[in-house]
Amino acid sequence: MATLCRLREVPRHLLVCEKSNFGHDKSRHRHIVETHYYNYRVSFLIPECGILSKELKDLVMAFGPYYSVKDLPLHELITHEFINTFVKKGSCSALTYNANIDEDNAAALLPNGKLILSLDKDTYEETGLQGRPSRYSGRKIMKFIVSIDLMDLSFHPASKKYERVSWAFKEKKPLRFDFLLAWHQTGAEESTLMSYFSSYRIQEHRPKIAVSSVADLQCPVLRSSELGGQPDTACSALELFDWLGAVFSHAELNNEPDSFLSSYCCPQPSTVVARASLCTVTGFILPEKICLLLEQLCRYFDEPKLAPWVTLAVQGFADSPVSWRENEHGFRRGGEHLYNFVIFNNRDYWLHMAVGADDDCPP
Amino acid sequence: MKSVIYNAFSQKEAKEFDVQHTGAQRAEAFVRAFLKRSMPHMSQQVREDLLQRKAVVLEYFTHRKQKEKKKKSRGLSAKQRRELRLFDIKPEQQRYSLFLPLHELWKQYIRDLCNGLKPDTQPQMIQAKLLKADLHGAIVSVTKSKCPSYVGVTGILLQETKHVFKIITKEDRLKVIPKLNCVFTVEIDGFISYIYGSKFQLRSSERSAKKFKAKGTIDL
Repeated sequence: MATLCRLREVPRHLLVCEKSNFGHDKSRHRHIVETHYYNYRVSFLIPECGILSKELKDLVMAFGPYYSVKDLPLHELITHEFINTFVKKGSCSALTYNANIDEDNAAALLPNGKLILSLDKDTYEETGLQGRPSRYSGRKIMKFIVSIDLMDLSFHPASKKYERVSWAFKEKKPLRFDFLLAWHQTGAEESTLMSYFSSYRIQEHRPKIAVSSVADLQCPVLRSSELGGQPDTACSALELFDWLGAVFSHAELNNEPDSFLSSYCCPQPSTVVARASLCTVTGFILPEKICLLLEQLCRYFDEPKLAPWVTLAVQGFADSPVSWRENEHGFRRGGEHLYNFVIFNNRDYWLHMAVGADDDCPP
Repeated sequence: MKSVIYNAFSQKEAKEFDVQHTGAQRAEAFVRAFLKRSMPHMSQQVREDLLQRKAVVLEYFTHRKQKEKKKKSRGLSAKQRRELRLFDIKPEQQRYSLFLPLHELWKQYIRDLCNGLKPDTQPQMIQAKLLKADLHGAIVSVTKSKCPSYVGVTGILLQETKHVFKIITKEDRLKVIPKLNCVFTVEIDGFISYIYGSKFQLRSSERSAKKFKAKGTIDL
């Protein structure tokens, strides 16, 4: 009976909607953007806009490169040289890819210097480092999270903790992963990741940018002060979220009765917009760059424009061990963790944050 | 002495005391009746046999007398044994270098047990021998454990009790490692064996007589 009930349960999603103004002192938009470390896809939609403005285009082009290293042993990330060169100066992030979070071992280096390992049971028992069981394990614990603070290790170079971690990674259980690395430097430093890891197979990549223009798009009418929407005058935040998803996946919105794929139609009331630009950037994108993009989109409304609002949506990696700050993230059904800003012309904004089943509530 | 107590009557005394000599038959009957009254549990036949002094078959009793319980020493309880501190190793004796000859001895013993360890010996044979062998003096190390802080402890095995290994590490520290939920590695001449501690919860003396069955999982 209990099994049947459990099987009938649908894994839950969480959607948090907030509204605020960019001018507020306590506005948390910077905090949300900066603590969401691993961003896979950034898309923004500007209605009533034929071509992207020059500043936006330049900004999007300047999303720096990211690197992929194959078969990097984990002990390379805890050497003092690496910590002093990259982790302390600027913010360096690394994430394993090609490793499913719910099946294999995964590792992530956060910009604040913490190394998070998500290990399965056998690896955790063999490695010998202190960790805690994951919160979404169920009765029989299969996944353990080990968290190593690299900044703390670097302050005491010859400490027992460092010796133990180093022994565990070098001799006891040498783990190798494929990593995606990115480094946001804060000083004019000469060394780059390419030259440091030249002995491994490292490749540089640039984020992929796709700009398109959509004609005759049905957009819902929104009012910035009504988050829940009003029956005939404005749409609610939930309806907007669904509509955005349909637009980004290029679904047909005309609700044709014989359409097999989708019978979704735009929430009412809506207007028809002649043109809208949709830009998508895919890659390993740093949160600092997204901050810059958000500010640029705020400044879009400095000059009077036809568009009532613009949206910016950011999706995270499905296989990252953390979602916001150090909240644990699991895959379960879809592994989604994303947030979306809707920016109005009076500098109000709406913020949606969505997570899947095996996730903590967003901050 | 009998002569003092019993004396035959002379004829004259008998006449005087008016004691009549009973006839021989009457005497015999009297004796029989007397015996019957004295020994009622015996049957007539047995009494006759007794009087005739036949050879008597010694009876054997069907239920034996309870043998007196041997008063053996009860032995000491675990608490008393611990108080005796026979098996404690004093701190001044806890030196790794002191036990290295023990390790050499153990290696020699294992080599003899397996009739010489050649590189082409079958691992199954070595495993079977190791199951029954004594492990005092072996260098063991913990490879896998449910508790991460036990992993990596390496040293010479000093004592093995039912649930615990007592190991001395290179830093001269005596470590007590529970066997449950641990996997130990024993290495001899290039042959590495893994001991699953959860199945090994026996005193070393009892282990030599136990047959091991593959039951349950080896998952920790």
